[in-house]
Amino acid sequence: MRTVFLASLRTHLRRYVAAVVAVAVAVAFVVVVGVLTSGAYSGLMDGLGAPYRNADHVVSAAGWPSFELDPEAAIAFTERHGENAAATGRATLPARANGRRLSETTVGPIAILEEWRWQELSSGRFPASTGEAVVDVYFALAENIAVGNRVRIGEGAAARDVRVVGLVESPSPPAQASMYVTWPQLLRWRDHLHLNAVAVRGEVGQLPEGAKAQSPEGFAAERLTYVQNRVNSLSVMLLLFAGIALFVSVLVIANTFSILLAQRLRDFALLRCVGATRRQVVRSVRREAAVVGVLASLAGTLAGVGLGYGLIALIGTLAPTVPVGAAELPTLWLLGGFAIGLAVTMVASWLPVRRVVRVSPLAALRPDAAVDVHTATGLVRLALATILLVTGPALLGVAMAQDSTALMVAGGGSVFTGVLLFGPVLVPRLVRIIGALLGPAGRLATKNAVRNPRRTATTTASLLVGVTLTTAVLTGMTTWRSSLDEQIGRDHPIDVALTSPKEPVTTDLLDRVHHTPGVEQAVPVGGAVARVTGLDEPILVVTAPAAMHVARDGGAFARVEPEKIRVDSEAFGKDLSLRPGDRVTVRVGDRQARLQVAVGTGWGPAGVVAPETLATLTDAPEPHAIWIRASSGADPARLGSDLDELADPVGATIENGLRTWESLDQQLGIYTWSALGLLGIAVVIALIGIANTLGLSVLERAREHAMLRALGLTRRQLRRMLATEAVLLSVVATLLGTVIGVGFAWVGYETFVTRALSDATMRVPWLSLGVVVLIAALAGLLAAVLPARRAARTTPATGLSLD
Amino acid sequence: MTTTTRQAASARGLTKTYGRGDAQVHALRGVDLDLPRGRFTAIMGPSGSGKSTLMHCLAGLDQAGGGTVTVAGIDLGSLDDDALTIFRREHVGFVFQSFNLLPMLTAGENIMLPLELGSRRIDDAARERVHTLADTLGVADRLGHRPAELSGGQQQRVAIARALVTQPDLLFADEPTGNLDSTTSAEVLDHLRRSARELGQTVVMVTHERDAAAYADDVVTMQDGRIV
Repeated sequence: MRTVFLASLRTHLRRYVAAVVAVAVAVAFVVVVGVLTSGAYSGLMDGLGAPYRNADHVVSAAGWPSFELDPEAAIAFTERHGENAAATGRATLPARANGRRLSETTVGPIAILEEWRWQELSSGRFPASTGEAVVDVYFALAENIAVGNRVRIGEGAAARDVRVVGLVESPSPPAQASMYVTWPQLLRWRDHLHLNAVAVRGEVGQLPEGAKAQSPEGFAAERLTYVQNRVNSLSVMLLLFAGIALFVSVLVIANTFSILLAQRLRDFALLRCVGATRRQVVRSVRREAAVVGVLASLAGTLAGVGLGYGLIALIGTLAPTVPVGAAELPTLWLLGGFAIGLAVTMVASWLPVRRVVRVSPLAALRPDAAVDVHTATGLVRLALATILLVTGPALLGVAMAQDSTALMVAGGGSVFTGVLLFGPVLVPRLVRIIGALLGPAGRLATKNAVRNPRRTATTTASLLVGVTLTTAVLTGMTTWRSSLDEQIGRDHPIDVALTSPKEPVTTDLLDRVHHTPGVEQAVPVGGAVARVTGLDEPILVVTAPAAMHVARDGGAFARVEPEKIRVDSEAFGKDLSLRPGDRVTVRVGDRQARLQVAVGTGWGPAGVVAPETLATLTDAPEPHAIWIRASSGADPARLGSDLDELADPVGATIENGLRTWESLDQQLGIYTWSALGLLGIAVVIALIGIANTLGLSVLERAREHAMLRALGLTRRQLRRMLATEAVLLSVVATLLGTVIGVGFAWVGYETFVTRALSDATMRVPWLSLGVVVLIAALAGLLAAVLPARRAARTTPATGLSLD
Repeated sequence: MTTTTRQAASARGLTKTYGRGDAQVHALRGVDLDLPRGRFTAIMGPSGSGKSTLMHCLAGLDQAGGGTVTVAGIDLGSLDDDALTIFRREHVGFVFQSFNLLPMLTAGENIMLPLELGSRRIDDAARERVHTLADTLGVADRLGHRPAELSGGQQQRVAIARALVTQPDLLFADEPTGNLDSTTSAEVLDHLRRSARELGQTVVMVTHERDAAAYADDVVTMQDGRIV
């Protein structure tokens, strides 16, 4: 049997290439996750304890991460300890340098004393007094800041100029900020300051309320566990996708084995004829599977390690602030990935190999032993599929009614399994329906595609998995997105609000705003400066009937009842002592009105009132604000800084609501594309599977193809026939997957989204779904390229003499 | 040009070698042959005598190494692969040893296959011809069955019907009785002979069985790549 085993390895190993690739891709996926996970660990843990290395105690919030240190109490505590304490934390502040507004800037403390300092100098020197700052090297690089530059931090009365005296690296990610100033300087912006922890030398004394003291080691361990949990949950997410890829590769390998073994059924029968026992035959085939599994897992592990470290290096170059370190080899992950690959191969080959056992030695003696094994659909399988297809939707229905996630997952799982089991009946019928639209070569392709229902079903199943999940993600994201859009439209009705509280805006400014690229519409908003009881500073009171031309909520926020004044609670921030429902007196000059306070967000530091209310307050309202609607596709940061440049010289401020949209777009974009990218791996494996099935079928149909060529099928027609077969398979899988995926998205919407956002509506992204079908068809075409070329190479004469 | 009108096909100085160096095999060593119209010719010879190669070259399944092949006035040497394919589709019919029907098509669909490949319209005349052929060959009641449900003799008769449906200039049969018992062989050979006599069909059969060759009008014997 040893000779037979080695000979069949030599002869058939090449036919396992696709299966090897499928397993290797899935294994590499697992290993890459492992390498990145350990890279993230080491990146996040490096220097975690650096700021506390010389401390005896670390004081932090007792209920962290749910609770933070109370900033004022923590500041007082730090002050009390003088040189024996150093705080870590940061304040997010607006900043300008070189005549430009900087992107989001965080400012943290840097100690004067060397033993509390954890930043590492890379050029210049450390700050010695207030008025001096160091900047993180990567932030400096991104924002074009050099030693010697001046940076204005803060706004209005709190604004201070600092001089950059050095650039530093910040090795401790949790304490990282874009710039560092001395502690007294930082206290200038104490209202914005959030503190993580305070390092203390000597006695702790009276702790601030809600705080606890730990040893530096205990503190580091606590943060470490937190980081690990975060990284671990990310790894679990990634492994979920790796699991999908593995499942798809199981389908591909199982199919490869059943096709290959069916083709060799005659050989096995012959072996049995000449005296090999069942056990010998099975063992030989199992060993073959093991060799395939070992090769594939080995290739996958090596590829995964290479890819993982490549990615770490790439991240290090492209995004140096992302804390990912070059980790040591995660041995456990590598062994795990290898074992999974081998196990998956063995499991997937189990059933096909069992079928070999049943072959009777007589099969070898029959003339023309049918290579074309017709796989009937078992009754058990059909019964099971029916049960699942009945109970699944029922479970989903209950899930939607009760908003139950567990039932939804169970229902979705059983519907999908039902469809997979039902495949051998369903898929050929769908193929026939679509194939009926095609010409003669197409009709042959259709017949070829359905001649072996189970093979066809398994081949499409692998693609079905990926497509179903992809369309579910696309539809789910679109629905979520549209409901969020409505909500954000209410929270940020004005894209950019330019407000000039002191001087009225000039027509010249309005004109220039109009001509700024990215501005679609801009309306002047009339108002007057008013004193409001309970507020120290005078505020702007405006009325804006024209708001509907620019507002994303159709101007609803600006339609205020005559007895009310609506203020932007976000723009006034902490300074706002007014609460909704308060009654206040609003005074302009010697006129006044008694109004009730209402709040909203998204139009800048101004109170909106009804036109008649403003008319009682002033006879001559002047334009004090410009509300701007950005054109679609405008770059929020660019538009913001362009408008800021117009606003700043005249003492006006801008409120950029567009940034919220941008970050939402980015976030949703990141979710969607990562999900699609990760699912893409499963789809690629499925396409390898289609190419593989087709390639192996081409081998077993060599004779038929030769005969068709002899009868007058041109090479082109033959190639087209095979391409059609692949496209039929992929399009049917995609259409079926799209229907199921959109269905799942609908169920998910009914279960989750309607609960969270009551007025959300289901959106189906027809365009994206169309693109998915198109891509699937093209990919099917691509999968057919190699098999079709191979098939077309055989000349009729040589093909006919094949045996 | 009288020869081309009288001859369905002719070969002049035909050579063909396979392999290189020591492994070189001369399958054809200069064959001259004329196949008259409407006659049933058998090419005989032992295994390796070059008879199958000769047939492949005459049928446009393979290009000859040297010499010329003319079928229905067309010089096959001047055709590229696509032109050869279309030539086969229009001028040649085949019957193979191992029946070679497509397993997923019914007998009727298999017979119509050559018409479909040429994207010819399947008109009433074509359908009529299929039925006549099926009647003549005794498979009219089996047209809805798949090859696996037919006996070997029935499969081979379906294959003959398929070869005749395009009314080819030449019908090639490559060991058509190789897989059949003697009774069924006799039926099949009788059908081939009747196609020549009654339909005026030119038939060329490659065989190594003397009994089969006896059904032919002419017998050409080959040995070592030459006609003897």
